[in-house]
Amino acid sequence: MPGYANNPPRNSHFPQAEVPAVHLQDVSKHFGSIEAVNHVSFHVVGGSIVGLVGSDGAGKSTLLRMIAAMVRPSSGTIQIHGLDAASHKTGIKPLIGYMPQRFGLYLDLTVEENIEFFMDVFGVFGAERAKRKERYLGFSNLLPFIDRLAGALSGGMKQKLGLACVLAHEPKVLILDEPTNGVDPVSRQEFWGILGQMRQEGMAILISTAYLDEGEQCDQLVLMHKSRVLEVATPEAVQSHYSSLEEAMIHRIQEVDEGLMHEQFGL
Amino acid sequence: MNNSGSDAVMVEDLEKRFGRFVAVDKISFAVKKGEVFGLLGPNGAGKSTTIRMLCGIIAPTSGYGRVAGHDIFSEPEAIKHAIGYMSQKFSLYEDMTPYENIRFYLGVYEVPQEAWKERIEWVLDMARLQDVRYRITRELPPGWRQRLALGCALLHRPEILFLDEPTSGVDPITRRSFWEFINTLAAQGVTVFVTTHYMDEARNCQRLVMINEGKIAAMGSPSEIIAEVFPCRPEADLSDVFIHLMARRGE
Amino acid sequence: MNPVIIKAIARKEFYHLVRDFRSMYLAFMIPLLLILMFGYALSLDVDSVRTVVVDHDKTEVSRDFVRKLNASSYFEITHHLNDSSTAVRYLDQGLTTMAIVIPPEWTEDLKADRTASLQVLIDGSDPNFAGISRGYITAFVEAYNRDRLISFLNRKGMEVIKPPVDGRIRVWFNEDLDSRNFIVPGIIAIIIMIVGAMLTSLVIAREYENGTMETIRSLPVGGGELLLGKAIPYFLIALIDVLVAVFMGQVLFGVVMKSSFSLLVLASTIYISVALSLGLLISIATKSQLVANQMAILITFLPSLLLSNFVFPVGNMPRIFQLLTCIIPATYFIDILNGIYLRGLGIAHLWPSYLVLVGMLIVLSNIGFALLRREGM
Repeated sequence: MPGYANNPPRNSHFPQAEVPAVHLQDVSKHFGSIEAVNHVSFHVVGGSIVGLVGSDGAGKSTLLRMIAAMVRPSSGTIQIHGLDAASHKTGIKPLIGYMPQRFGLYLDLTVEENIEFFMDVFGVFGAERAKRKERYLGFSNLLPFIDRLAGALSGGMKQKLGLACVLAHEPKVLILDEPTNGVDPVSRQEFWGILGQMRQEGMAILISTAYLDEGEQCDQLVLMHKSRVLEVATPEAVQSHYSSLEEAMIHRIQEVDEGLMHEQFGL
Repeated sequence: MNNSGSDAVMVEDLEKRFGRFVAVDKISFAVKKGEVFGLLGPNGAGKSTTIRMLCGIIAPTSGYGRVAGHDIFSEPEAIKHAIGYMSQKFSLYEDMTPYENIRFYLGVYEVPQEAWKERIEWVLDMARLQDVRYRITRELPPGWRQRLALGCALLHRPEILFLDEPTSGVDPITRRSFWEFINTLAAQGVTVFVTTHYMDEARNCQRLVMINEGKIAAMGSPSEIIAEVFPCRPEADLSDVFIHLMARRGE
Repeated sequence: MNPVIIKAIARKEFYHLVRDFRSMYLAFMIPLLLILMFGYALSLDVDSVRTVVVDHDKTEVSRDFVRKLNASSYFEITHHLNDSSTAVRYLDQGLTTMAIVIPPEWTEDLKADRTASLQVLIDGSDPNFAGISRGYITAFVEAYNRDRLISFLNRKGMEVIKPPVDGRIRVWFNEDLDSRNFIVPGIIAIIIMIVGAMLTSLVIAREYENGTMETIRSLPVGGGELLLGKAIPYFLIALIDVLVAVFMGQVLFGVVMKSSFSLLVLASTIYISVALSLGLLISIATKSQLVANQMAILITFLPSLLLSNFVFPVGNMPRIFQLLTCIIPATYFIDILNGIYLRGLGIAHLWPSYLVLVGMLIVLSNIGFALLRREGM
C-alpha cells in the first residue's frame, strides 16, 4: 500500500484569500468495508473551475455526492461557504447546483416546463423568472426549442438543458458529474463556453470528466485513484514533462499500482 | 471469401429514409481489410443508421453495398455471421454472469459445440475476467463490462468488428488499453469499423469519414483531413476540424 | 413544509398526468365505464323471469292460472308450448329460464280436493338467479292457494277467515330491494382505489426509473413536500370522480342520498387520502412501475372489490377472510356510504368508521414518510 494517505496534496496558491466556496478537510466515506473516499482534502474558490479526473471507481462520484450533500461523509468536514454540508443540508442546497452523472430531466415535460420546475422549487417568480429563463436557455441555445419535449432533444441538448436547470437558481457552487459523456464536440464546446462564462461571474465549479481535453481547460485538477487524491495542481503542473495530460495521468496511476494496470477497480 | 477484392466494406450511394426524413443521404466509401476505420459525426448525423445498415439490422432504402463479400440487401443473415458488433450499451445481460453471457453468444452465433470450451477460456483470458466469471455482470466495473462485451463480439472470430461509440464514459486508462487491444486485433487482420464523436478515439483510426446531416463532410486520414480543412493552420487538430465542419446544423 | 415547493411538485405532477394517455384513461374513462357497467349490466336484481308454459290441462282454470302468472311483474311468459320435451329443449338452449308444466286433469284434481301437482323446471346454471326465480314461483303458488281457499270458503257462505299468521315483511333501508342502491357506494369505493392507489403507485417509481429521483434529492425538497405535492393532482381527480359517480347514480339510476352530502364529501376526502398514501407507499417500496402496478392491483383493488362486503357478503366467508376485511379501508368507507345512502345515518352513528379511516391514514402516511427518509429524502 503506497503511503499517499499521509502525503498532503500540494496546494498551489489560489488567487483569492477569502473563505473558499468549497472546503474539504480530511473527508472519508466507507460503504461497509469498502473505502470509497479516503482522507481527501482540497478546496475550490469562487471564479475557478476544478476538474476531478482519475480512473473509474476512484471515488469521484461519491466525493461529488458528498459535496452536494446527497450523502454524509463517514469522517472529515465539508464546508460550503463556511456552512457544514452534513449539518446544514437544507441551508446549503440553495447555494449549490448539482448535476448527477445520469441527470434526470422530465422527458414528458417541455424545455420550458423543466426549467420552470427548478425555478418553482427555488421560489423564483415574477420578472426575475422570465429574465433567467431567457438568460440560461439563451446560453444553451435552447430558446428556439422552448416548447419541445425534453425527450425529443439530442443528447447534447439534454445536457445543456440540465445545466440551464441547475443554473436557474443562480447557485454559488456548481457540481457536475461527468456532464459531457456521450455529447458531441460541438455541444461540448458550447457546454464549456457556458462554464467559462459562469467562472467569470465568480461561480465555483467542480466538474468530473473522463476527457482530458476538458481537463486542460480547468484551473486546477484533482487527480484521484483508488479512493485517494494523488495530486492537486494546475493542468500544466500535472502534465509536467509528459507529452500529454493523459500520458502524465496514466504514469501517475501506474506508479501507484505497479503492474496492476487496468485491474484497479477494487474487487 | 468471394472476389470482393481488398475491401471489407464497400458502399455506393447508400441511402436510408424514414418517411420523408433522409437519415443517410447517398454516401459512398470503402474500408480496406485490416484497417481501423472511423465514422465520425455529431449526435443524430446518421452514424447509427449507417452502422445498422452495414450490420444487416435494417435494410437501406436504395444504393449498393457489400460487407465481408455479402450484399447488404439480399444477404443480411450471412453478414451477421461474418461480423462482430458492440454497441455503446454493451448489449450484455446484466443479470447473468460473464460465463453465461459468453455461452449465450456462442449459441447465437452458432459456434460448433466442440469449440465452446476453448473459446470461453480464450475470451475470459483475453478480457481478464477469469476471476469474475461467476459474478453477476451488473456488479462489474464499466471497464470490465466493456471488455466482456468486446469478447462476446469476437467469439465467432469475425472478419469485421463494428464498434458503435465503444468507449463512451470509460476512463482514459481503460480507453487506452481498449485501443491497444483493438490495434492488436487489426494487426492480426481483423477490420475494425468505429463510430465515435470523441476525437481522441478518432486519432486511433487510419482513415476517417466525417458525416453531418446524412452527408459526407470529409474523408481521408486524420492528417489529410486536417490539412484539407485548415491548409494554413498546422497547429489545428481533429477537434477544430470537427467543430468547423459540424458547427452549422439545424437541430 | 414549504407551500411553494409543494405547489412546484404538484404542478409538475399535473403535467405528467395530462401527458400520459394511460393515466388519463385510468382516471376518467375507467370510472365512467364502471358506473355504467355495474349500474346497467351487472344489476343483481331479477326483474322478470322468462317463462314458457306447457298447458296439458287446457281448462278455464288452468288458463286463469297462466293469466295470473303473466299478469304478475315477476314473470314474463314468452311461449306457450305443446309438450314437455320442447320445454326442456328451450331450457337446454337457454331460450328460457323457467318452464311450467300443467299436467292433464289438473283442474279435475283441484276440484276433487286431491293435490294437484304442478311441474316447475328452473335453469340452475346461475344459482343466484335460480334461487330468486324459485322464491318468486313459490310465493306465487302460495298466494294462488290462499286465494283459492278463500274463494272456496266464500262460495260455501263461510266468513272470510284470516290466515292465522300473516307475515308482513317490510324491507328496511332499501325498500325496493334495488341492488343499485347498494352498488353505487361500492362503485365509489372502487373508483377511488383505482384512481387513488393504482395511479399514484406509479408516480414515485417513475422518478426512480427515469433517474429523476436523484434530481429531486439534489433539490431542497423534503419527503413530506414530495408526497403532498404528488398527491394533490390525484386527490382532485379522485374527488371529481366521486362527484361524477354520485351525480350519475342520482340521474341515471335514481339513487338518492338519505343523509347529508357534506358527510359524504368528508368520508371521501379521508378515504381518498388513505388510498393515496397506500399508493405512494407501494411506489416508494417497489421503485418499479411494473411491480408497483401489480402490487396495487393485488393489495388495493382486488380486496376492495372482493372483501369489502360489496359484491360478496362477508358473512358467508371463512373466518380468516372475515378478519381480513377488518384491515381493508374500503370496508369502512362502504359502511359509511351505506349509512349515508341507505339508512340516513348521521355522524353520531358513523364516527367509528371515520375514526378507523383516519387512523389508517396516519399509519400509512407515516410509513411512507419514514421509507422516504431512509432513502435520504
